[in-house]
Amino acid sequence: MSDVASPRVAVVVFPGTNSEDETVRALRAVGLDGELVHWSAPEALARFDAYVLPGGFAYEDRIRAGAVAAHDLVMDPVIEAAQAGKLVLGICNGAQILAEAGLVPGTGPLRRPTAAFAPNASGRFVSVHVHVKLNVAPDRVPILGGIEDRAVIPAWASHGDGRLAAPADELARIERDGHLAFIYCDRDGNPVPAPSGAALDCAGLVNREGNVLAIMPHAERDGWTFQHLDASRDAARGDTAATLAPSGGIRLFEHFAAAVRKRVPA
Amino acid sequence: MTRTFAVSLTIPDNEAFTAFETLGRLGIDTSRVLRSDIWIFEGDLDAELAATIGSIETIHNPNKHRLTERQADLPEPGEVWVAPRDEAPATLVAGRALPGVRAILRRTAWRLLDDQGRDVAPAVLDRAVETFLCNPAFQVAIT
Repeated sequence: MSDVASPRVAVVVFPGTNSEDETVRALRAVGLDGELVHWSAPEALARFDAYVLPGGFAYEDRIRAGAVAAHDLVMDPVIEAAQAGKLVLGICNGAQILAEAGLVPGTGPLRRPTAAFAPNASGRFVSVHVHVKLNVAPDRVPILGGIEDRAVIPAWASHGDGRLAAPADELARIERDGHLAFIYCDRDGNPVPAPSGAALDCAGLVNREGNVLAIMPHAERDGWTFQHLDASRDAARGDTAATLAPSGGIRLFEHFAAAVRKRVPA
Repeated sequence: MTRTFAVSLTIPDNEAFTAFETLGRLGIDTSRVLRSDIWIFEGDLDAELAATIGSIETIHNPNKHRLTERQADLPEPGEVWVAPRDEAPATLVAGRALPGVRAILRRTAWRLLDDQGRDVAPAVLDRAVETFLCNPAFQVAIT
């Protein structure tokens, strides 16, 4: 249920976006007023406190995944907001858009990407349950308020273009300067290869200021107990409330909500 | 031996139109954008290769595609090819091996025309490549 007193978060919908509803649901579960804003209404974006670019296939991934959307007019206010310090979270296709827009890793000019989430090394779309681990100090990701060091978050990797690719010197910069926000890991936090074949086994990138985060796996698709592939789902069987309870990947949104609240006057 | 084929749509090309719209937003002056998929086959190639690939509908669907063989494995004047920087050549098409084919490379060919139907100036094409058509983080533009 929307709460008028809650911080307002725009979930930007492009033609071809397909994860907007579950993203709004996850935002509302953590007390944010998530609201869909379509690409045709860029003027509506200024009044929001934060932004989420959800998953899907914006503009059918024409030319390159995220490339057309990155140049869409609706991205102008998102880029301006990011530069003004507002929080911007991109998930999967949203992450691809942020990379094409030059907002992550943010080491070059706007809309002149220095890195990309390129086609998977296998040439195939992957859809697998994964865990991702925070790979930078928590103070490098103020967009995730209160996240604990080396936090492990479950999610679903579901993409054909999730392979971080960049020239060698840029990859070195990403690692050295703390842009490699998340890497793939097992449930215990031990590093594992990226299902996409991503360089650095990257699952997420953050900009220099830490207010823009691009993460490939969908935490919102592991936001409820019934979506887990572990014992908690089995333990909740027969208990409707427990089965439908927010858990797992919803933690990513809880930390995002904490960060949004910190920046929005009560 | 190398043989190169271009596959273009005979029906409206939505991707080319989207590129045209986006390039216009970026201030790049063009009146029409043409796009082709380039397939480069290497190996001891069968004389029937053109007929073979012409019958593989994931490459060429005669209801909507035009298949032409190129004389060289390089872009024609006025054209730019965009290719993955770290491309690993494929050996299969639609899950099947083709006689004598040892490697398959793919590119996307772009051509920008002015309002007279001529190729735009090289500087305009270069700008389109730099600002939109090619992401140098993982792609290379071949002219």
